[in-house]
Amino acid sequence: MDQIYAPDGPLAPPPITLATSPTVLAGLRIGVLDNLKPNAKLLMQRAAEQIAMRTGATVALVTDKGPGYNSATPCSDAIFDKLDKEVDLVITGSAD
Amino acid sequence: MSSASARRAVCTSWRSRRSDVAESYEFLDVVDASPEAMYELFEERGWGDGLPLVPPTSARVDAMLEGCGGDPDEVLAVLPPRFGKATRRMVAVNAALAGCKPEYMPVLVTATRALGEKKLNLRGVNATTHPVAPLLIVHGEIAERAGYNSGLGAFGPGNRANATTGRALRLILLHVAGAVPGPGDASTQGGPAKYAYCVAENTAASPWGSFHRSAGIDAASAVTVHCGEAPHNFHDMESDHPSRILDKCASTMATLGQNNATIAQGEYFVALGPEHAATCASAGWSRRDVSSYLFQMARLPARVFRAQFDLRAWYPWMHAVADDELLPMTAEVDHIKVFVCGGAGKHSSVVPSWGMTSSVTLPIE
Repeated sequence: MDQIYAPDGPLAPPPITLATSPTVLAGLRIGVLDNLKPNAKLLMQRAAEQIAMRTGATVALVTDKGPGYNSATPCSDAIFDKLDKEVDLVITGSAD
Repeated sequence: MSSASARRAVCTSWRSRRSDVAESYEFLDVVDASPEAMYELFEERGWGDGLPLVPPTSARVDAMLEGCGGDPDEVLAVLPPRFGKATRRMVAVNAALAGCKPEYMPVLVTATRALGEKKLNLRGVNATTHPVAPLLIVHGEIAERAGYNSGLGAFGPGNRANATTGRALRLILLHVAGAVPGPGDASTQGGPAKYAYCVAENTAASPWGSFHRSAGIDAASAVTVHCGEAPHNFHDMESDHPSRILDKCASTMATLGQNNATIAQGEYFVALGPEHAATCASAGWSRRDVSSYLFQMARLPARVFRAQFDLRAWYPWMHAVADDELLPMTAEVDHIKVFVCGGAGKHSSVVPSWGMTSSVTLPIE
């Protein structure tokens, strides 16, 4: 009998953990973070508006990642702080 | 061989945490280690690149580790999106799978470190729909010592060092990083460069010495990892002056389908064939002169970019350029990197970047 290694190996701890999603959206503030992919803002803003209309949430902030940032980078610290202060949940990350 | 047969090839799968080993590794006890059974086993488990693999037995992995020394369980990089720990041992496992010789291990260890550099942006490289692949360029004395091909047919096929080192790096991405098409690699069409993409610099034929020393790395050997497209060929069989040759290179660079067209931080690697390089050098042109000329000539009117792209990741000054003025395909001369590879003939190539990544050159330890 031969013994071989599995080729994927051990995992590192995840660098971040996602916040728990809210179970009820009524009264919460929705933010839209345009990740600067084509049509992302249009798609996500419409989705946010529909969610707000159906749940009683509000669309409180629509922004992009900030000058000099793009779809392959995190947003600026300033935008992150603004989202942290002004909204309860964020829609982001439309792909191509 | 059926999937049921493949399952019968494995007796047990178990996890080892030896007291002298910092990490926990999974092993498989294999009843049937024939090439056919191994091929089926790896396919069944979703491992591999679709080609036959060499079973990574402990003996083979230990032999690989002897090729690089160091702590086998040192974490060289944590590779997204799976966030697998790329230890020397896991590099050795994938090197064995690919069919490497132990003497290729220093190249792979250094290339794996490069993958972990923040500016390379591996998460983006693996996540994008673009057909980007890490091009591994081997510089210096290890290229000759370990048998890498820097001459005729350097991009392949036919050389074990180039083929298996490039393949091993891809297997590390597939297995450790989890860059599996679909869940871990969104490339719309994929690409042949995602199988194996490794070449050596032809320092002996370079009129400007080695690339890594020009980049300020004082080491006998080094590795560059540049995340880009497959090579775009250009040829000039008649010119005896650099400008006519490099105008064709500039034309190859100045096309709208590349990510560089909208991402000003994007790099180009220009792999000059030795004869084209010699023509440039004989006219007194330095490596930097070649980059500067290409920066000047690989341009399109600003209005063309504006007409074609609503989203432009430009440097601030580029937005102020008038419509009829020419804009460079990349924002800085230093983004155009020139090295020599290949053999006889009048062909060279350009490797455009994915864009939102920067190349990494590291000395081999």
